[in-house]
Amino acid sequence: MNPLWSNIFRRREEDSLSWFLKTVPVFAELKGRELAVVESLVHSRRYKEGEIVFEEGDPGSGMYVIRSGGVRIFIREKNGRESELAVLGPGDFFGETTLTAPALRTASVRVQENSELIGLFRADLLETVRKHPMVASKVLMGVTRIVSERLQAAGQEIRRLKAALETAVREN
Amino acid sequence: MANSGQSNNFNRVQMLLLFLALTAAIATGLAIFSSVSKMFVLIQEATAGLFLPLLLSLVATFLLNPIIDVIEREKIGRSTCIFIIYSLLALVFIAVFSWLLPHGQGMWQSLQEDLPRYTARLIELSKSVQGYLHEHLPFLDNYNLSARVRTMAELLVADILVATPKSALRIGSIFLLLPLFTFFFLRDGEQILRRCIALAPNRHFEMVHDLVSLIGRQTAHFIRGRIIEAFIVGVVVAIGLSFTDIRYTLLLGVFAGVTNLVPYIGPIIGMIPGLLIALVDLGLGPQFWWILIVYFPIAQVIVDNFILIPILISRVSNLHPLLVIVAIVMGGKLYGVLGMIIAVPVVSAIKIAIIEIHHYRRTFTLPDVIEPDRPA
Repeated sequence: MNPLWSNIFRRREEDSLSWFLKTVPVFAELKGRELAVVESLVHSRRYKEGEIVFEEGDPGSGMYVIRSGGVRIFIREKNGRESELAVLGPGDFFGETTLTAPALRTASVRVQENSELIGLFRADLLETVRKHPMVASKVLMGVTRIVSERLQAAGQEIRRLKAALETAVREN
Repeated sequence: MANSGQSNNFNRVQMLLLFLALTAAIATGLAIFSSVSKMFVLIQEATAGLFLPLLLSLVATFLLNPIIDVIEREKIGRSTCIFIIYSLLALVFIAVFSWLLPHGQGMWQSLQEDLPRYTARLIELSKSVQGYLHEHLPFLDNYNLSARVRTMAELLVADILVATPKSALRIGSIFLLLPLFTFFFLRDGEQILRRCIALAPNRHFEMVHDLVSLIGRQTAHFIRGRIIEAFIVGVVVAIGLSFTDIRYTLLLGVFAGVTNLVPYIGPIIGMIPGLLIALVDLGLGPQFWWILIVYFPIAQVIVDNFILIPILISRVSNLHPLLVIVAIVMGGKLYGVLGMIIAVPVVSAIKIAIIEIHHYRRTFTLPDVIEPDRPA
């Protein structure tokens, strides 16, 4: 085979970072060139099995997307036991609530196997607002959409729980 | 006895060994020390000429970065943006130099003639001051003020006359390195910074990333503000002086602008040559008072303190006067006049970094949301 051809096609498009980013809901609205901007924006970090990504109470400044591997989200109880909240796999993301507003992390995250996480942080996003306002607004739209979807789901859940509580109180 | 002799012998061997070991240790220590200090000397020598161009190109990067960001928004490549800016700057420089070369020659020659005149006047002044002092404070009899002023003035004049052509040569090398460094800082600065941040361990990466960007933004803002402030003060002084018959208006404006980078002391030093020239050439007339007014109430109080500083410089970077003086003295010890000028901005940048770190930690410890009373 011609080495030139093999060189050109060596990296399949599906393996590229921008291809992966396109599959993440936050970046779903971005197109080729804009994805390249995001690609230069995010930080790719490799974690070993059992490594802590962040702890509850850490200052949070951005979100992580799991490119490969998986993480476990948990909170530490007063007696030191860890109670698991969720297990996430490739394509999932977490920490998106601290992307726009500085806040403390409300849970801890530990990597379950050797993983690659893609980090997107507030400082970079602020910089992008200045340089590529179009890209920044699309990313922010994506984040807002997801946060509001979750907020609505949480609201419904609260209503459901309230109703359940009321019926439980009435029955007693 | 034999026993003790043996122990004595043993002791002697031991002593010898100890002596040898100590000698070896001292020799090794000396060797390490000398090689380390030699290394430091080598590093120092190797980087000696780099300090100034690097610093200046960092400042230039801070100044040009926002402009390039604006152009880049029009979907033009970053390198192209830098080339556009560079060509514009080159045009400006060519224009300035084509104006300056004929004028500058004349100015330089007249300055060479005038400087001794000004210093002579300064010595005369100091003599009259000394006469006054002798009259009122006779115990200062053996303090020769005018001689002291004379040696200082002569040193200064010699310095200016000899060192200016010499430093012109050094400026030549800066002219070569400055655009190069600035180009790469502008083009790849962000990538370089990202690579450096990426070295941080996973656990601290987020915090390092956040702090670096915060500190970077504040420092850039501060440096930019300082330079623009100095430029405007220089322009105001130059324009104000151009209403009078004083010569070297442009030079005096530049001097006032540069010295304005040093707080408290800078402005005072900045107005001395202007006032001296005015006193010698124009006498103590209304023009002298106008020049004094331009220097102090107009340029310093109104323009700088009431308009520029509140707009351009955040209060965060305010330094205590004591710290300013210490910084200037230390900067002067290290890098001479240049060190005096850059010491205060450098210390301010360090202060900004410390305050940002402190602020960062405080922001995140205020809201007490981590420990709500969770049912155990």
